[in-house]
Amino acid sequence: MFMRKTLAVVALAVPLALVACGGEKQEAPAAAPATTQTAAPGVAAGGAAAKGSASIGGKISFAGTAPAPEKIKVSADPYCQKEHKDGLERKVVDVKDGGLKDVFVYVKSGVTGTYPPPTEAVELDQTGCMYKPHIVALQVGQPLKIKNDDETLHNIHPRPAVNQEFNVGQARKGMEVTKTFDKKEVMIPVGCDVHPWMRSFISVLDHPFFAVTDEDGKYEIKGLPAGEYEVEAVHEKLKSQMGKITVKDGEKATLDLSYKG
Amino acid sequence: MPLEISADAVGGSPGFSPFAPWRHRLSLLLVASTLALIFVGGLVTSTGSGLSVPDWPLSYGRVMPPMVGGVFYEHGHRMVASFVGFLTLVLAVWTARCETRAGVRRLAWLALAAVIAQGVLGGLTVLFLLPTPISVTHACLAQAFFCITIALAYLTSREWLSSTGTRDDVVGVRGAAVAATAAAFGQLVLGAVMRHIGAGLAVPDFPRMYGRWIPPAEVLAQLPVAVHLAHRGGAVIVLAFVLRLALRATRDGDARLARPAQLALALVFVQIALGALTVITEKAVLPTTAHVATGAAILGLCWFATLRTRRHRHAAVSAPAVAGLGDPAVS
Ligand SMILES: [Cu+2]
Repeated sequence: MFMRKTLAVVALAVPLALVACGGEKQEAPAAAPATTQTAAPGVAAGGAAAKGSASIGGKISFAGTAPAPEKIKVSADPYCQKEHKDGLERKVVDVKDGGLKDVFVYVKSGVTGTYPPPTEAVELDQTGCMYKPHIVALQVGQPLKIKNDDETLHNIHPRPAVNQEFNVGQARKGMEVTKTFDKKEVMIPVGCDVHPWMRSFISVLDHPFFAVTDEDGKYEIKGLPAGEYEVEAVHEKLKSQMGKITVKDGEKATLDLSYKG
Repeated sequence: MPLEISADAVGGSPGFSPFAPWRHRLSLLLVASTLALIFVGGLVTSTGSGLSVPDWPLSYGRVMPPMVGGVFYEHGHRMVASFVGFLTLVLAVWTARCETRAGVRRLAWLALAAVIAQGVLGGLTVLFLLPTPISVTHACLAQAFFCITIALAYLTSREWLSSTGTRDDVVGVRGAAVAATAAAFGQLVLGAVMRHIGAGLAVPDFPRMYGRWIPPAEVLAQLPVAVHLAHRGGAVIVLAFVLRLALRATRDGDARLARPAQLALALVFVQIALGALTVITEKAVLPTTAHVATGAAILGLCWFATLRTRRHRHAAVSAPAVAGLGDPAVS
């Protein structure tokens, strides 16, 4: 109410502030802080390592009782409220028949050679005031296309430890922005400060040997050359699990890992 | 430190300055709006909305974005801040044109410079993604600006204009007021550092600390814990100084000093309760933000008392004149 009344004053004061500060409209969302458009090391290094024919797959399981889903209030934004009439529930530990969903599984060590990043973009969609997918994975230098499919605004704000932090706004439906990450980093939290419940995790690797578990807790990492590998499973809330496995050409090795509740 | 005003520089000079009721009322409105702005600014941090609008000075490329989610707090803060900036601009120009005392004109320009600097700092917090030094400076400048507005209001009040300046501090009320103001400001700086390094819950229990009355030595080595405990210790120091001020002012029998000092003392107790609630509720938005605003009110009252010790108790000060001035921080 008070704020509405001040609107007119603000309309006056904003140009004044611009004059006083010597500022200009320098910060349209599209021109937001420097993107990390550097070429990936893999590309610069030239010759790509050949893909192999082995694969690692299995099930990531969770034993015990999963914490109850969190109930989230979305009424702060009428659009989000409309999208989730009965409220929103977030299962941080999402278990079905003992299988744990949304675990990022990747080869931590044992990969040799360089793998240039694919030129095709990985998508991160904002829809229904949620991120889709919840766990995003891509290679160093690979484009990440972030889309707004909502009739409300979002800001995309990853909080990396080693990559460059950024904060970009998408005011309208259909807006897109493409970003790249130039260092490897696992599970960078991404959030929207407009809708604090929105959360996703981006993992950036210098090779393509990673997967995310599906709703049954299953994963598969394909195209590995024969060798001995160390595999890590990372969950947003639970402690990481490690496993070691040796695979031969053409072979499909099984590596199951398990979490305890 | 809040600005130290010399009585001779601004008021004690022989130059006659008539009471300007509307300009004085505007300065009172500025004081009240600034306290409200400190609360609204505190809400931004308490709700974690500081980066919900990624651009500045526009918001999502617009003057008026949809006020949804965190945008309500961040853009709301920008709107109230623009209002305060606008008031300050009007007051500065008005003072420059109509005020006879050069010191007051300078102070009004200083207020304008401070509010502009504050706006730019706010913009920088957004563009550089809340770096701690900028956020802390933004928080502390807010308090300093609040003190400037109080000084402007008092210097243009009927009470100031109809009394004469004094340098006497016979019963030590001024010394106590200066000390209490300094302690309150120091405590606000510590509070701002604690808040912006995210150490508000670094000691998770109250009144005990990690389950003990004397915290274990090994936790003290961690910076967030040390800052947090310094803020709790600071509360005891502020309480002691404000208590001293209240006792001296009460003993002195001058209601002009006793009232703000007693109110400050009452607010210190409220403030300690709010600080405890902040910890116990794990930084629930309302107690946390009220804690920020109450801190500002305590600082403002001590500062106001300090300024009042600069004037002689004046028999000619009529009751309506005092009522017209009011206690600026209590709005
Ligand atoms: Cu959002």
